Amino acid sequence: MTAMNDSKKIALPSQKKSSGFEEKRKILFLILLTVGLVATLLPFIFMVLTAFKTNTETLRVPPTFFPQNPTLDNFKKIFSDPNLPLLRFYGNSLFVAGFNVTMTLLTSSLLGYLFAKFEFKGKRILFGWFLVMMMIPSHITMIPSYLILAKIGLINSLWGLIIFSAVDAFGIFMIRQFCETFPNDLLDAGRIDGASEWQIYWRLVIPQLGAPMATLGLLSFMGNWNAYLWPMIVLQKNEVRTLPIILTWFNSTHTGQGGLIAAATVLIVLPVLFVLVFFQRWIVKGFVTSGLK
Amino acid sequence: MNIKTYRLLFVFVVLSLTFASCTAPSQPTPADDAKVTLRFWTHTNNAFNAGYDALIKSYQDEHPNVTIQRESFDYELYLQNLQTAMPAKEEADILQIFGTWTSQYYERLAPMPAEIMTLDEAENQFYSAPIGGFTVNGQLYGLPQEFNTEYGGVLVNKTMFEAAGVVYPPVWKTMDDVIADAVKLEANDSSGMMSVAGFHFTAADPLSFSFLAGIKQRGGDYWNADRTGFTFNTPEAKAQLEFYMDAVQKGVVDPVVFNDTTNFVIDAFFTNKVAIGYIGTWAIAEGLTNFPDFSDEWGYFFLPPIQGEPVFVADSGWGLAVSPNSKHQDVAWDFVKYVTTVTANAESFNIASGTIPALKEVAKSAKIDEEMPWVGEALGTLPYGEYLGNMPDRDLVIYEIIYPHLLNALQGVETVDEALEAINTEANSTF
Amino acid sequence: MTQSVKNKNFSTSGLTKSKNRFVSQIVIPLLIYNSLGIFILGWAFILMFYNYSPGRLGGPILGLGGSNPFIGLGNFSEMFQGISVKSRLFLVSLKNTLVFAFAVLPLNLVLTLTLAYLLEEIGSKFKALYRAIYFLPVLMSSVGVAIIWLSMYDPQAGWINAIVRFFGGQPVAWLSDPRAGFLGVSVALWAVILAYLWQDYGYNMVIFIAALQSIPQDLKDAALIDGATPWQTFRLITIQLIKPTFLFVSVMTMLSSFQVFDIIQVMTNGGPGNKTQVLMLDIYKNAFRYQNMGWAAAESFVLFLIIMAITLFQMRVLRTDWEY
Repeated sequence: MTAMNDSKKIALPSQKKSSGFEEKRKILFLILLTVGLVATLLPFIFMVLTAFKTNTETLRVPPTFFPQNPTLDNFKKIFSDPNLPLLRFYGNSLFVAGFNVTMTLLTSSLLGYLFAKFEFKGKRILFGWFLVMMMIPSHITMIPSYLILAKIGLINSLWGLIIFSAVDAFGIFMIRQFCETFPNDLLDAGRIDGASEWQIYWRLVIPQLGAPMATLGLLSFMGNWNAYLWPMIVLQKNEVRTLPIILTWFNSTHTGQGGLIAAATVLIVLPVLFVLVFFQRWIVKGFVTSGLK
Repeated sequence: MNIKTYRLLFVFVVLSLTFASCTAPSQPTPADDAKVTLRFWTHTNNAFNAGYDALIKSYQDEHPNVTIQRESFDYELYLQNLQTAMPAKEEADILQIFGTWTSQYYERLAPMPAEIMTLDEAENQFYSAPIGGFTVNGQLYGLPQEFNTEYGGVLVNKTMFEAAGVVYPPVWKTMDDVIADAVKLEANDSSGMMSVAGFHFTAADPLSFSFLAGIKQRGGDYWNADRTGFTFNTPEAKAQLEFYMDAVQKGVVDPVVFNDTTNFVIDAFFTNKVAIGYIGTWAIAEGLTNFPDFSDEWGYFFLPPIQGEPVFVADSGWGLAVSPNSKHQDVAWDFVKYVTTVTANAESFNIASGTIPALKEVAKSAKIDEEMPWVGEALGTLPYGEYLGNMPDRDLVIYEIIYPHLLNALQGVETVDEALEAINTEANSTF
Repeated sequence: MTQSVKNKNFSTSGLTKSKNRFVSQIVIPLLIYNSLGIFILGWAFILMFYNYSPGRLGGPILGLGGSNPFIGLGNFSEMFQGISVKSRLFLVSLKNTLVFAFAVLPLNLVLTLTLAYLLEEIGSKFKALYRAIYFLPVLMSSVGVAIIWLSMYDPQAGWINAIVRFFGGQPVAWLSDPRAGFLGVSVALWAVILAYLWQDYGYNMVIFIAALQSIPQDLKDAALIDGATPWQTFRLITIQLIKPTFLFVSVMTMLSSFQVFDIIQVMTNGGPGNKTQVLMLDIYKNAFRYQNMGWAAAESFVLFLIIMAITLFQMRVLRTDWEY
């Protein structure tokens, strides 16, 4: 202990010069990063300010930064327009995201556990199949999936966004990785105590999966909340649509309603901001583990 | 779980899926024959749908046993929705159809019963351009409600005219007069970017339809003699495109800054960036609603022909058709007749939706003239309207072939000859 | 007592039995679900040999045949002839997609690695805050991002041209001028690339940060003591050690940029003059706007082949120290 402290003290004078250099370097880096920060934030600020401008002001040349006559009309219009039941769109988005997240968590944990801890005939083939599914881009299956939905009458139904999303190959891999570290003794102890396999899964395995499940859940939620192409294809009626499609609908059918569109964008991004503020650590960690699997 | 079981399962699923696809969902048949419920699909347009709802109500009052449930879809998705519903036989009983679509879907639409209206009767009562869209091989498949014209009309900013010392209301004998006025009206900002377009004619519909009209007015045609192919590499087409090139050269519009996607006519006109804006009358209601603080004075005027008679091509218009899968086709047709041919009803619909009537009698009515004075001005040219013609894929031809190549030429990306040659080749490849 | 004895007797045969039951209870429904996947893949594969449109009546099985005729490799041979409008748009989309992906990849890697490195070097006081803010666009709906950038690129009322004017520059119609180009690539495509980078960089940055954190400090210190400059340390130690991450990140970035859709569809819808038309957009338009689903399926297959080829190539090149 003391020796270490001493060595630190001894080292100090010789490092003083380089630490001054270090300081300068840090400040330079900080400046560079702050420039990047401003570039990241400015578009958001534009958007928020635009939400309080009239449509005419949004097209003024040169553009105004702060709203000249700040108005809440855009928000009022969004909430009062009977053709735009915004709460309903939130509901739709939440329903789809919630359902898909639950399904993904359930199937990923079950299958991840299965692949990690059980031996059965055809396991390799099945596992290989999921590997293949992970490599196949979704655009390949888009057209037949759509035709199937049309045949079974699930176009314009939120279930159309759900039936093809029940199993997520990526989630299976992630959970399997995690389950492999489980001690077999623990599971066997449960078996000896007379627990059924389902009870073991539910009472012993699931509680251990808190961290990866939270991460997977958040990733899946964000993916579903922001999904655009597939919902746009499946949901052709206003009242069943999810939020991102409503945004483009605004953009295409409400000519020149810059303020209104910005207000709608703000309202749609708000939940994401909440998610970021409260779950920042989880998300960042999640992206990292998913990235380095 | 061996491979054999796997295969069995696979076969089972494939079979069940194929089976599911074969059994069409059965339509609920009303227990009481007197009670009739009809489904009615339209595209989302508040003005149109207000017109429909009023007529549905009055029809239901007259026929208490009939209930009509209207449902609407956004324009871009309505077509897609029809295309998926029709094969599954799930479409509504009454369908709002854009005339030009008929030639693609007539196999899936109910032919007009002769007791409702014969083709001769229809041609007498309706203008030829709108009724043409609902006719395929001499058979009617529906009736039009409006005369859709993207050609000929412009929004004019009176305040700008007066500020620039240009005579208002405009006196335009020829298209050259229009260009001459527009040159006086355009303005650039200090950096040289066009800030006010004198004459914005470069949006997709105005440019494409005035191009087709110009070919006709110059005595040419874009169809070959037996209508089996297109001819866009004609001297008339070339002269028409060169006319636009010349207008751009004179600076009436910068097609890079003003076109269909950037500074669309409605946005730009109602934010004082356009003096003369080429657009259909439907734009008026939309512009005034979206830009309540637009304070300039304005008017709506019609352009003179490029030469000769004011012949133009029109895209038919919205109208109604009936599904062949409907359990109550007779009632559905009765409703269609009620809405489209009873003069007072057609009139109230046109006023509610702000559209030009398809019925000749309604177009000349005093009430229309009072509510929509610009219809009276257009009245003289309406009989010159010809139907666009049944194309294999109308949207592809207009929006992916004609308009993009014309704009390319105006923006200097292609030469006139290259553009016309490309239009000709590509349009003919759609057959 | 008796209970546990019973269980012990049970364990040899009973345990495997219950295990097997558990496995089959999961695997059987899964197989049914997977056969749906196989069915879909098979359908996707067959479709590309047909001139198929769902609006037409077609034959009895899946609407194939009849008025939706089998044309063999017809779609593919038409694609590369360049005569029809479909073929012209396909070739343009193919070119734009390649340009887009190969422009995004290096820009993204340089940007994200630099930011990650800088963030790691500054004090921890700011690190969390900066990282969170940089990450914000990743979580945002790409549609929202596209709408924001759309308004910023407006030639007259947009902020970007306002800034250009402020510095006395010549304003540009960023998203609507098909003539304007930079390095042989349309300005509109660059504009879209910029918006795409803005939305995307937080993701790779965070992954790089994690990789950088996993490098032992001793190693870098040792190099510095040996007289290596920070740049040399970065190049010789940091880069070498994060190579697996580098591979992963570049494959993922490439994959997603080949499938770019949302941002382009909202910002330009392929314009001006098809300068930003990319394959996913062309596939979408052909399948769902013009209902040429056979053609769209063929295009999807071409895109799939390209993605596969490039992924395999990248794996090969960067494989050296790759461990799973």
